[in-house]
Amino acid sequence: MTDIIVNGMAFSLPLFIIAVGGIYSERSGVTNLALEGFLGAGAFFGAVFVTLTSGLFAATSQLPMYLALIVAMLGGALYAVIHAVLCIKFKANQVISGVVVNILAMALTDFLTSQINSVALGQSSDKFVLTVSGRLTFEPLASIPVLGGFFTNVYPFEFVIIAVAVVAWYAMYKTRFGMRLRACGDNPYAVDAAGCNVARLQFTAVLISGALSGLGGMCFAYSVFGNYSTSIYTGYGYLAIAAMIFGNWKIPQTLGACLLFGFARSAGYVLVQKLGMPSTYSDLIMILPYALTLLLLVFFSKNNRAPRALGEIYDKGKR
Amino acid sequence: MDDYIVEMRHVTKRFPGIVANDDISLGIKKGEIFALLGENGAGKSTLMSILFGMYEPDEGEVYIRGKKVETFSPNHATELNIGMVHQHFKLVSNYTITENIILGMEPRRRIAGIFPAVDVKSADKKVAELSKKFGLEVDPTQKIEDLNVSMQQRVEILKMLYREAEILIFDEPTAVLTPQEIEFLLEIIREMRRKGKTIILITHKLEEIKKVADRCAILCRGRLVGMCDVATTSTKEMAARMVGREVSFELGKEPAKFGAPVLNVDHLSVKNDDGFTVVSDVSFSVRAGEIFAIAGVAGNGQVEIADAVAGLAPVSSGTVTLAGKDITRSSVRARAEQGLAYIPEDRQARGLILDFTLSENLMLKRYYQEPYCVKNVLHRDEFDKKSRELIERFDIRSGQGEQTVVRSMSGGNQQKAIVAREIELDAPCIIFVQPTRGLDIGAIEHIHEQILAERSRGKAILLISLELDEIMNLADTIGVIYNGQLLKTAPADTLTTNEVGQFMMGVKE
Repeated sequence: MTDIIVNGMAFSLPLFIIAVGGIYSERSGVTNLALEGFLGAGAFFGAVFVTLTSGLFAATSQLPMYLALIVAMLGGALYAVIHAVLCIKFKANQVISGVVVNILAMALTDFLTSQINSVALGQSSDKFVLTVSGRLTFEPLASIPVLGGFFTNVYPFEFVIIAVAVVAWYAMYKTRFGMRLRACGDNPYAVDAAGCNVARLQFTAVLISGALSGLGGMCFAYSVFGNYSTSIYTGYGYLAIAAMIFGNWKIPQTLGACLLFGFARSAGYVLVQKLGMPSTYSDLIMILPYALTLLLLVFFSKNNRAPRALGEIYDKGKR
Repeated sequence: MDDYIVEMRHVTKRFPGIVANDDISLGIKKGEIFALLGENGAGKSTLMSILFGMYEPDEGEVYIRGKKVETFSPNHATELNIGMVHQHFKLVSNYTITENIILGMEPRRRIAGIFPAVDVKSADKKVAELSKKFGLEVDPTQKIEDLNVSMQQRVEILKMLYREAEILIFDEPTAVLTPQEIEFLLEIIREMRRKGKTIILITHKLEEIKKVADRCAILCRGRLVGMCDVATTSTKEMAARMVGREVSFELGKEPAKFGAPVLNVDHLSVKNDDGFTVVSDVSFSVRAGEIFAIAGVAGNGQVEIADAVAGLAPVSSGTVTLAGKDITRSSVRARAEQGLAYIPEDRQARGLILDFTLSENLMLKRYYQEPYCVKNVLHRDEFDKKSRELIERFDIRSGQGEQTVVRSMSGGNQQKAIVAREIELDAPCIIFVQPTRGLDIGAIEHIHEQILAERSRGKAILLISLELDEIMNLADTIGVIYNGQLLKTAPADTLTTNEVGQFMMGVKE
């Protein structure tokens, strides 16, 4: 049970913050299928930073990881500029832009990873080794039956995610900025008529989307993978999109969806172990969260309502 | 000239291929209700969009309170205390009334003295006060998606008042309202004048101008053709100047000669896509030579009745009989061949294929029949021959005759094309749904003449319209629909406009 909780939380929270990134973009009216690309690109920047600065820190220092999270956010935001410019400045089809941004991220980071490895480090490799992040256990809380799992072997980044998510929620629901941003997703013409700059709001939203996805991607690199390579593009971005839709584009509900996916996944692993299946079968269990997604979407998507102006190209001249 | 709060001098605005405003000069006094009258495309909205800063004039100047306007932007207009209620409301549907009103200038408070947050509660109070002051009767915490059109319009008005607008522009505010709602709105407008606001009313409805306006400017094809004191000018005079010729309000309606019932609708119920009953237990019959009109506020099930009769929506219970034959489950084509012509509400979505030529569109109900199609091969020369005949007969105007792509035609001519196609079927029963929506007076006259001509030829006509005037002018029998039910069915000459309006609001006898 403890394992299910530990691994479930470690998977759910990065997924959640990526989904929150998606919510930011989509509530502003910009369809975002590019989460996959954002999270990979963000993690790439973070990994490059860690690799290039590895000589500056003591081997046991946790500091590089925290810095990498920040760099990943900045890198994710930087990469998101592509999607923002295509969709907002050039009014491209947002679905196509998202797909292109994903493909580009994979190809570009793969190429750059090899190049940086050979040029800067003089080795031929298509990955950056990161080590898995250290974990914290909080006694005596960890000794509580069942619930103790939430305080056992916790990745430090989980707290970072929770803090960032709280700020993201506050900004979206309590501030002027958030109010205008959400209005853009419903009726950008109303926002324009109120004297606000729709393009700037949407641009900002997409950049935030990139930053949050980058953070989530970096956390995956530090936990699930332990290194950075193109294997980070395994569809977690799309899973985050599913969680966002299942969560009805609202932050609290999306957290619920992510927890569900995370626990389904970790419970699947425990199941594999308990049944003593050969490891090749564990791939089958990996399908579980995705199958669950499909099933849930079939039943629940009817009641869900996407932002009304989602994907609509905002043209100020149109009346 | 200091007494003018708004002054426009020699304003000209051109769009590609058209002069929307041609050298217009006018002045508006503080505290008056100033009407701007003209047909569709006369340039009223463009002129006011310039005042509101949405367009910059190509020539000429605009003065507000004696000061020349240098920058044209809606934000600047708002700073000058000008507000505009657009024809299409700009509201965020999942926000409350208050949230919509404060959007863009949200009051702030600090949570725990540190974190800034939008202060919705204090804004709620302010909105409620404003609403009370001007008699708008809104609840600030309601969500927009739960409001009807009339309430949404009041939210737009509150938005302007919240921004302390002194000059308020209304673009066709009554187009979407019922007679009672129109009265309510006009009362609000009068109340605002009493409180010292200056009101500009864009409209093509003469009665409204007569009811509230002080002065009226008349535009025709981009030019200012007249300026009159409303109190001393007759509506007939205003109409003549607006159209540029004499207009007869009287339609040459022949006395009724009713024949046998052609269309029978018996206990009809229709459910929408969500499974809600939108038409419940409606029964009526339309006789040959009769215009049966269904009056009602938009969204009360009238369009669904037409769709069910035409075969575009499934019938959940009840029967539809055409000339003695049950067509409740027939296909659309079978109904057309049985003798049903249909002029749909949304001419662009359902009546026409916009990227096809006029000729192809005129043949949409005939193309598979001889001589237009022989052995599965289309004969376009036959299409064109027939089309030219129809274009001539129905006076359809277009750039390149029958080869014109329909998208490029004006709304009036698009509608004429649909009417031509359907009337040409020579079906004993014709359904007209909102046949004059969005058309100007000239085109409306033409369509009305066609409807009456078909009546004289003994056709059974089902007319569904949101324009009460249209119904009162044309109908022999009126059925008023409310909430999916026919509340009242009676010969037209036994009902007054006011009574019909009452029934439209659901008032029972």
